[in-house]
Amino acid sequence: MADTVLADGALELEPAPEPDAPFRPTPRGMAARIAVLAALLALILAVPQLVPAVYVNIVTKAAVYGLVALSLNILLGYAGQVSLGHSAFFGVGAFGAGYALTKMQLPWGAALLMAALTGAVAAVVLGAIALRLRAVYFALVTISYGFVAQETLFNIRSLTGGGAGQPAPRPSLFHTDVRYAYLCIGVLAVAMLFDWRLTASRGGRAIQALRDDERVAASWGIDVTGYKILAFVISGMMAGIAGALFASIEQVVTPADFGFALSLTFVLATVVGGAGNRWGVVQGGVLFAVLPTLIDRAHANFHIWPFTSISITLEPAVEALLLILTLIFFPGGIAQQQRNLLSWLSFKRFRQPETGGGPARGGMGARP
Amino acid sequence: MRTVLQVLIIGIQNGAILSLVGLGLALVYKATRILNFAQGEMATVPAFAAYLVMTGFVVAGDPVVSKGRLWLATIVAIVFGALLGILVNMLVIRRLTAVSPVTSLVATAAVFLFFTSIEVNRFEAKLRRFPRYVEGGFRIPGVNITVEWHTIVVLVVLGGAAALLALFFQTPPGVALLATAQEPFAAELQGVPVARMRSMAWGAAGVLAAIAGLLGAGKFNNLQPALVTTTFLIPAFTGAVLGGLTSMVGAVAGGLILGVTVAAANQINTSFSLGIPGAPQLATFLVLLLVLVFRPSGLFGQEA
Repeated sequence: MADTVLADGALELEPAPEPDAPFRPTPRGMAARIAVLAALLALILAVPQLVPAVYVNIVTKAAVYGLVALSLNILLGYAGQVSLGHSAFFGVGAFGAGYALTKMQLPWGAALLMAALTGAVAAVVLGAIALRLRAVYFALVTISYGFVAQETLFNIRSLTGGGAGQPAPRPSLFHTDVRYAYLCIGVLAVAMLFDWRLTASRGGRAIQALRDDERVAASWGIDVTGYKILAFVISGMMAGIAGALFASIEQVVTPADFGFALSLTFVLATVVGGAGNRWGVVQGGVLFAVLPTLIDRAHANFHIWPFTSISITLEPAVEALLLILTLIFFPGGIAQQQRNLLSWLSFKRFRQPETGGGPARGGMGARP
Repeated sequence: MRTVLQVLIIGIQNGAILSLVGLGLALVYKATRILNFAQGEMATVPAFAAYLVMTGFVVAGDPVVSKGRLWLATIVAIVFGALLGILVNMLVIRRLTAVSPVTSLVATAAVFLFFTSIEVNRFEAKLRRFPRYVEGGFRIPGVNITVEWHTIVVLVVLGGAAALLALFFQTPPGVALLATAQEPFAAELQGVPVARMRSMAWGAAGVLAAIAGLLGAGKFNNLQPALVTTTFLIPAFTGAVLGGLTSMVGAVAGGLILGVTVAAANQINTSFSLGIPGAPQLATFLVLLLVLVFRPSGLFGQEA
């Protein structure tokens, strides 16, 4: 207890509250939290304006990867299902949007809807398979599914334009790079709100119960089949929307964009971010979206050792090392490392008690 | 008739390598219950080591591969493969805090990514010439089809490896290894050195992988980064699951059956000009799905 007071006092001099009473920050604590949150928000909103023009599309890509990580998190972090073929949902959304925009001449909003729909369908097919298989075997199936999507589905010329790709123009209102970046950040924000409400809802809690133990969940009267499919539908919709947003960054989609490497990157981003925690996984997605550029720029500009030897070809090795170090030292990922900070920012105490799930609950480590 | 025979031969050519990779996958799974996604790179990296030995450690340009050093290169590759397997287990697998099979699959996928990245960094995404042990082939009289000697070499090695492994699991150390997979705690109580047994299994899988890498690169006469993973790993997994992941005989049979199935799918696609893109991937996916849904223990598996 004294420990807690000390840690809190160092920051904002809070009196130790009653053990049972729900924690409320002091007015000063409240102000400090709001100030920090406002500063963070302002910083995020300023990023598309601050970065040099050539990097604006990287910011957009970061928002899209954040969205994909949220989508994968619903399966990996909440429902406890691994998807090593997430590039399939993502690609289906991208090509769905491209088809709607180019072949059907639909407005951009309708194309986004189409992407969500096709993504959901692609996910439900896989979800139906997931119902019948053990987790490890299912992981294998998802990998194979990703390959089929890339080699077969995305190469059907009449649907996807084949190797040359399908054009996917941006909406006219968000045509410039900077405006499009804001659009994608906006969609990410809406998705995070949605994710927040989802985890607070009955359905969201039911999905999380599946992760902990399916049989126990069933004994509580949770419809295991229904909620598992629901998790896939939501995840597929989010990935599909992310795919549509991704398609309009370069304004053309090609099958080569959606390989196994991308699926693997998504899984690594989600795990490194901290499966089960929405703030963590979004940061993971952002980190993995900017990592290639970061490494490339550091290699070009810093003339001291590690940077001189770490060229862009070693970027996947850095990703892999990040994942392995995460699994060994912080199974809860970035979210686990930021546990106290995230807790403070969500208007709770800086230091969370060790028991009773903190923000890092879930994660690869907590899975049975 | 001629077409059928041709499909069979192409299928076996491919399938034999699939079986060899699958044998390593099955061994790791049987001994540690882990699906090793790094098996393909545990094959490609030793093949690159062999390549370096054959070129006299020259990478730049297109150095001349000296076939005379093939045997020395083979020994180096096999030792390297064993070390690689042991190191992957020691540095990554053993240190994972969570022991869920999915976590370890993701970790081995990261190992694959790591090795591929290093290969691209060192050797660039280029084709490098790679020799076979026996060049050329022989004609089957009557039907006018050539069978490569290389295929025969692969089949002989495959048969030998499978027989050795199947025999090994009948011996006391083999049974002890099985026990560590099924009940590590009980095995430990019985005095089985669990950690050392697992390390040994990974080493053996590394040796198998190295051989698969040498013969796989030989099949194409070329070596490039991630070669074994991109061309063989997913079908090899599927073949091993088809055979029953815990059975050595199954891994061999599964790989060969899958090789022939994929060749048949390709042939049907061209013969009837169906124009389905990615027919091999589609066939592999369907086989995997059908096996897992209708017979998850595979053809020869007992307790998968």
